[in-house]
Amino acid sequence: MAAAQTQPVAASRAVEARKRRQREEELLVWPDLVFIEFISAVLFTVLIVALAVLVDAVLLDRANPAVTPNPSKAPWYFLNLQELLLHMHPALAGVIVPTIALIALGAIPYYDNTAEGQGEWLSTPRAWLNMYVGAGTGAIGTLLLILFDDAQHAKLWEKVTGTAWPIPALRNLRAIQNDIPWPKSWTKVPLGDKVLRIDLLGLPKMHLDINIPGLLVEQIIPVSTMIGLPIVLSIVCWKAKIAQTKRDHMILQFSGFIAVYVMLTIVGTFFRGEGLALVPYTIFAEK
Amino acid sequence: MAATESPERRSMGDRVYDAIFTNRLWRSIFRSGYPNTPRNQMLAVATNVFLHLHPTRIHRTHVKITHTFCLGGLSFFLFLGLTISGVLLMFYYVPSVDRAYEDILALETDVRFGQLMRNMHRWMAHGMVLTVLMHMMRVFYTGAYKPPREFNWVVGVVLLVLTLLLSFTGYLLPWDQLALWAITVGTNMVGSAPLLGEPNRFVLVGGFQVGQAALIRFYTLHVIGLPLMAAVFMTVHFWRIRRDGGLARPL
Ligand code: HEM
Repeated sequence: MAAAQTQPVAASRAVEARKRRQREEELLVWPDLVFIEFISAVLFTVLIVALAVLVDAVLLDRANPAVTPNPSKAPWYFLNLQELLLHMHPALAGVIVPTIALIALGAIPYYDNTAEGQGEWLSTPRAWLNMYVGAGTGAIGTLLLILFDDAQHAKLWEKVTGTAWPIPALRNLRAIQNDIPWPKSWTKVPLGDKVLRIDLLGLPKMHLDINIPGLLVEQIIPVSTMIGLPIVLSIVCWKAKIAQTKRDHMILQFSGFIAVYVMLTIVGTFFRGEGLALVPYTIFAEK
Repeated sequence: MAATESPERRSMGDRVYDAIFTNRLWRSIFRSGYPNTPRNQMLAVATNVFLHLHPTRIHRTHVKITHTFCLGGLSFFLFLGLTISGVLLMFYYVPSVDRAYEDILALETDVRFGQLMRNMHRWMAHGMVLTVLMHMMRVFYTGAYKPPREFNWVVGVVLLVLTLLLSFTGYLLPWDQLALWAITVGTNMVGSAPLLGEPNRFVLVGGFQVGQAALIRFYTLHVIGLPLMAAVFMTVHFWRIRRDGGLARPL
């Protein structure tokens, strides 16, 4: 045991900078930690048994491939992605965004590699502020974007003024494709078979046509929004001296990410009903 | 046998303890006596394979519940609970499209404590997704991902993915409408990836639509493949916490 504590540790900035261990600051794991673990295990066992006695797990009718329920929903923790699916190209929402999000999540410590704020809850000077700003912007921004894509602003206008929404092209995202008189040739720009050379893999030649308005609505605008808004947020907070250090920016972005994630999940779970329309909904009504 | 010491003043209680804890049977199992002196307490932790996940001493701020809210420990606790209740459920469940749904119905009506076991497994599964996400947030906001713990954060992200996949593969098994269509929606998302999406979806589902092939694949991943992987990554996760010098604290 004693040997383990005096062993040389790999030279990293953080380890080198660590002060000598202060024994008087330490407690014995038995009993101080083991008992807490034991009590919380007992508490949670009781809690889970109580929950299991009181609330039954859902079981609907036998699976039937011929009957598609409306709405069909993924498990709740993937409803954020299903919600994204309504607003952009499926490849983007279903695969590319989550992949990049996970990589970015894993990369956090490699970007924010300072020792600032380590080991204590939100201990740096502007930590709480950045958390509130990030989370608030993320939640409200997501909500506004969802309401926009559902044409809520146009519907409100029509209800209040009694006249039709004056800018049809800004009714929602899809209207940019449908209600702007794009030149016919733009909807099918042939790129030929030299762009994606899948024939080199032995597959049949692929003729690629791009639909510029479609590309704009399904990919370019969503991607610019998802990358652009966080960047704008960081720049604004940097100029406003809210976020000054790496840790500040990290708290800002991470809080924003969590808020977006939670907001998308909430909307996807409780506010997507038949045809995935934006209405209050609960799974428990199914039974 | 590890040397142990006794407290100085021997009270009646100590004598009873001695009778129970210093006999040959007890010693053959635990080596040290009852952990009633600092030395024995450290030996109890250091010589027990399970408790040895811990160091023998720990900084006082890390014992405060508000530092970790026990969230990592709870995730692990739920994982263990899911393993136990899952094994019990396996006794009654056959992953066949002809039987799966009926097995779940029978579990709810015919099997003693069957409904309770299913409910517990379900709630613990949802709970684990929540505790893992909250654990990640606690690690982030306490700045505990910073060097030298970068890699353990990455291991954590892998554990998060494994947790979601464990829950997702389990979702199909009851073979009710909820299960079938949730998995259909979920796997279609995979299918939408450019180029490799459709082949990937095909491999995952074992066909063009969610059927017997998908059920057996999901079942196998759910009961053995993913739990094993999660166990391996958890081992690394816990080992790294120790190697990185225990939980993070201010420099
Ligand atoms: C199955 C999932 C997981 C289990 C069972 C688990 C378990 C644990 C446990 C028991 C601890 C000790 C401290 C505590 O309880 O907070 C811990 C610490 C830690 N976990 Fe996890 N964890 C999981 C997922 C994650 C995730 C998703 C992340 C981050 C993305 C993560 C990153 C870390 C880090 C960096 C530490 C060290 C914290 C410190 O030094 O204060 N873990 N984990």
